[in-house]
Order: sequence, then C-alpha cells, then structure tokens
Amino acid sequence: MRLLPESKDRTQPVFMHPVIFVGTSALLGLLFALQEWMGIHKWNLHINLPVLLAAWGVQYLLWGIFCWLLWWWLGPQIQRSKPIWLITRLLPLSLVACLAEEMIWVLIFPNLPLNHPHMDYWRRLEFQLDGELFNSILIFWCAVALFRGIGYYQRYREKERAAAQLEVQLANAKISALRMQLNPHFLFNTMNSISSLMRNDIDAADTMLEQLGSLLRITLERRDAQLITLRDEVEFIEMYLAMQERRYGNRVSQSLSIDAELHDAMVPAMILQPIVENAYAHGLSKLGGGGILAIDAHREGPHVHLSVLNSGLGLKSDSRPMQSGQGFGLANIRSRLQLHYGSDHTFDISELDPDRVQVAITFPLQLAQNHSKQITRFGA
Amino acid sequence: MIHAVLADDEVLARQKLRQLLREEPDVEIVGEGASAQETIELVRATSPELLFLDIRMPGMDGFDVIDELAGSAGCAMPRVVFTTAYDQYAVRAFEIHAADYLLKPFTSERLRSAVQRVRDQVEAVEQSAVNGNGHRAKASAYSTRIVFKSRGRILFLPVPDIRWIAAEENYVRISTDKETHLLRETMAHLEERLDPQMFLRVHRSAIVNLHYIKEVRTEQNGDFAVLMANGQKLPMSRGYRSRVSEWLIRS
Repeated sequence: MRLLPESKDRTQPVFMHPVIFVGTSALLGLLFALQEWMGIHKWNLHINLPVLLAAWGVQYLLWGIFCWLLWWWLGPQIQRSKPIWLITRLLPLSLVACLAEEMIWVLIFPNLPLNHPHMDYWRRLEFQLDGELFNSILIFWCAVALFRGIGYYQRYREKERAAAQLEVQLANAKISALRMQLNPHFLFNTMNSISSLMRNDIDAADTMLEQLGSLLRITLERRDAQLITLRDEVEFIEMYLAMQERRYGNRVSQSLSIDAELHDAMVPAMILQPIVENAYAHGLSKLGGGGILAIDAHREGPHVHLSVLNSGLGLKSDSRPMQSGQGFGLANIRSRLQLHYGSDHTFDISELDPDRVQVAITFPLQLAQNHSKQITRFGA
Repeated sequence: MIHAVLADDEVLARQKLRQLLREEPDVEIVGEGASAQETIELVRATSPELLFLDIRMPGMDGFDVIDELAGSAGCAMPRVVFTTAYDQYAVRAFEIHAADYLLKPFTSERLRSAVQRVRDQVEAVEQSAVNGNGHRAKASAYSTRIVFKSRGRILFLPVPDIRWIAAEENYVRISTDKETHLLRETMAHLEERLDPQMFLRVHRSAIVNLHYIKEVRTEQNGDFAVLMANGQKLPMSRGYRSRVSEWLIRS
C-alpha cells in the first residue's frame, strides 16, 4: 500500500497512516480527559471541562505527532534492531523526546496547572516533569513496543506468505516433474518412429518397441520419487542413448563417464533426459556425421557436477526461436533445482566452441540413505 | 527336434511366437493353449521339451500350471520359458529353474537367445547322459546363472557369459560380450559364488573369466594388467601374475 510519499519507499500498515495515527492519539487524550473529569466529578469537585479536554488532548496530540515522527524516522530500526540498540540509542532519545514534549506543552498552556499561584516557565516545567515524566516515558516505550510488535507481525505474515508460495511452487513442480517422467511428447514421437520403421524394417521397429518398453518399466519403478540415485538416472539415460544410437547410427559417438563414488548420489529424477533430448533435437540432428555426445558426472568438493556436451548447432547459436518443448524442459529443470537446493546450485549453458555446447549443473552431494531392494539372485 | 507348446490367453501373443519360431528350424510347435487347463492337458498329451508360458491366464496362473505338471507322474517337465508383461515374477521363475523370462514386448533376437539357452540345456543333459553322469548334473556349490534387472530388462545370465567384473565403490560392473551391467553387490560375495576354476580375482577391484584372457601385460610404471579378448584392460595385483601366466600356458 503506497500511503507515504515516494521519498521513503516503504509500505506500511493502514493504521500507521499519519492522520489516523495522530487522530487516534488525540482521541486517546480526550478519553483520558473524560476519565479525569469523571473522577473529579465523583469527588464532587469541579473543573473546567474545556480546559481539561484541551490539556489532555494537546498532550496526546503532541505524543501522537512525536510517535509518528519516531515511526517515520526510526521505524525500521526499532522493528529490526537488537535490544542492545534499543537501550543504548533509544533510551537517551526517549528522555529528550519527553523533555521536548513537556516543554512544548507547558509553552502552550501558560495558565496550567490550575489552582496554583502563577509560576514562571521553568517552574511550571519542573512541576509538569515532576508529575508527568514517568508517564511520558511510558508512552514513548509503549509506542516502541507497538512498533516492534508490528515488526514481528509483518515478519510472521511474510514468512507465511513465502511458505504458502513455496507449497504452491512445489506442488506445481511435482506435477510437471510427474508429467516429465512419463513425458508424453517423447512417447508419441517414439511411437511415430516405430510406425515409420515397421513399414520397411520390422526388426528395427521391434527393437525400438522393446527399448521403449524398458524405458517405461524403469519409469514405473521410480513411481513419483522426486530424487533418485544417479545410478538409476544413468540407467534410464543409457537406455535412452541406446535408442538414439539406433536412430543416428554412427553419426554420433556417445560417451558416458560416471565417477563410481557418485553412483549413490541423489539427483532430481529425469534431470538429464531433457538436456540430452535437446542435444539431439537441436544440435546433433543437424550433423551428417562425427557428432559427439558426452555425459560426465564427477565430484567437486561437496558438490555433484553433471555435464552434457554435444556438438552441432548449439542452443545459443540456434537462430530459430526457442520452441515451446525445448524451453519448457530446461525451465522445468531450473525450477526443480531451485526448489530442491535453493541457491546452492548452478545451471549453465555455455558454448565451448562455435559448434560445441555444454550444459553444466552442480548441486550439493547427498548420498542415498536406503536402497530399494534389487532382485539379484544367484542360482543354477 | 524340440517340440514346443505355446500357452497364452491372447491370440496375438501366440501368433507372434508362432511367426518368430518359424525362424528356428529345429523347433516344432505341437500345440497352443489359451487357458491353464488346456495347457496342462496339452503338455500331458504331447510331452514337449519346451513350454512357452504366460503367467496371467484365466483360471490358474502359470506357476500353478507348473505345479500341476510337476505333480503328474510319468510326465517329463518341459523346459519353461515365461513370456509375460509383468516383471515381478522373475525371481520366482528363476528359483523354479525356468530357462528364461521374456518381458513383453520382446524382440526376435531375445527369443532366439532364449531358444538357444534351451538348446544348450538339452544338449548338456544329453551329453551327461552319454558320459554316464546321471540324469542331473552334479550339484555345484557355485552358481551357474544369475538373475537381475538392468535397464528395465530381466536377465537370466549364464555365469560363463561373464567376461569380467570390476568394482565400482558399492557396486560391481559385470561385463558380457555386448554390454555391461551395474549391480549393487560386493566383490567378495561374487568371488564366493563363482567357480574359481573359471573366475579368478586378480585384483582388489577385478575378477576375470580365465577363458577370455588374451594376455598379461606389464605397464610402464611396473604394475601388471590383464588384457581381455575384447581389448578391455584390467588391473592385476603382483601376487596373481604367476597364476594367470601359468593358466595361459596350460590352456
């Protein structure tokens, strides 16, 4: 809410608007005045009501202005600083503010206190401070406490809002990751290839069908796990690469280099497939031969470093605008990395040469805690 | 001649098998069953050497069929090759000594290798009968085959097909002639299960099939290595060098 002029770029709660702030304080003053009047009246004494109202009203009005100024100038610091700061900085300020307020008030009301012989300014000030200093300081610190409370409340709401947003993001990512796992567009493309192959090379079509079946089985095994071992991810990629190899023959030379110590590293499921798919669709498919596709996984300190290198027209040098399929796959990876690892990850696409592109990802190394039962058996 | 019965409730599945088996001249299809009961009767009537068996059929399932047949007297159990869309029965199939487990959709190549396994088994039995070793080969303390899942496929891998095994931290990489498989196993466990007449552990991180060693090499830095028939090089500890060289000379 933009209630303040743009010079101080802060949003503030509606009740901190100066008019309301000051108005409320004045009202408080009037109420205190009424209270005093009723008290005196009870004792069957009389007092000049308008004077009473004016005195209290002005006092609280002054306080209202002071507090609002305090909020204006020091609000954020009061909300966020450590208690030590409050004691060392605000304490002297509180005394100064109280003094100032009383000085102004005494100036405005030369004929108060009533029923006392006339005193000069300093006597009256002394009298006023004597009675009111403690109250004033109390008012000041109540305001400080109020500001701080507002600060806590705002932070709490902020956290709630962030948490709710994260939940929505996570749910969305889960859904799209799930969709990626089955990846319909990849399925349909493959089916189309099979349909094409079966007309003149039944064995090739059969092989592709079997490979697709294996891929689906691997996917089904994972269910909806968001993180899987690198070993499982590589298993999928190996089958995927085998399929691509059939399509591209010896036009592309594939290499897969996975550090043995990373077999049990947890990685986001299907993190490599979209990158490899892009590498083929947008880079390698343009080549007539001599293409390279190299996948590497090694450890860099506390991080896992994954990279996919391919030759052919890279993602950057592709003059065609990004097709929806391509962008979506990589954007999905980025958001999933952000979700799992926050800022502790990197995702870079770099052109190593005019005709070699590398996608490199790093994220923290987390080893699998438990393992799904393998079905290995020895027998006769 | 190998006589075969095809058991599957789906017409197209049986048709596929029939078509693909035309490529195997020594396999003759003697019957097709569309249900468990039909299959049992057929097998009893024709005593085939080979049974292609689906698992999920109306009435009883494939394993029940085997139980029934095993119970019948005077009927030799055919060798069973399961053909199924479900991978969760693989271990059970392995444990009842099925010859192979084909996951649908399978390729003709896959079927061919399954039929070859059956041929090998039949031959081995005939051979041991000729040699007078009795009906069953003597039980060995060592494994002759391993079942595992790799890249979404089920493999009943005959141990002699393994060329070498390399350690990769908590895993081992098993290599056959065409591909490698990563399994969560320890080298020690494998060493226990493999016949030392065939497999020798030459290094902390390498076990080799002696039949596929091409030669022993000395590296530039003085370390030893074993060169396999397909060009793969594996590290070898000093202590094993003489044993391997000896073996090479003898063979």
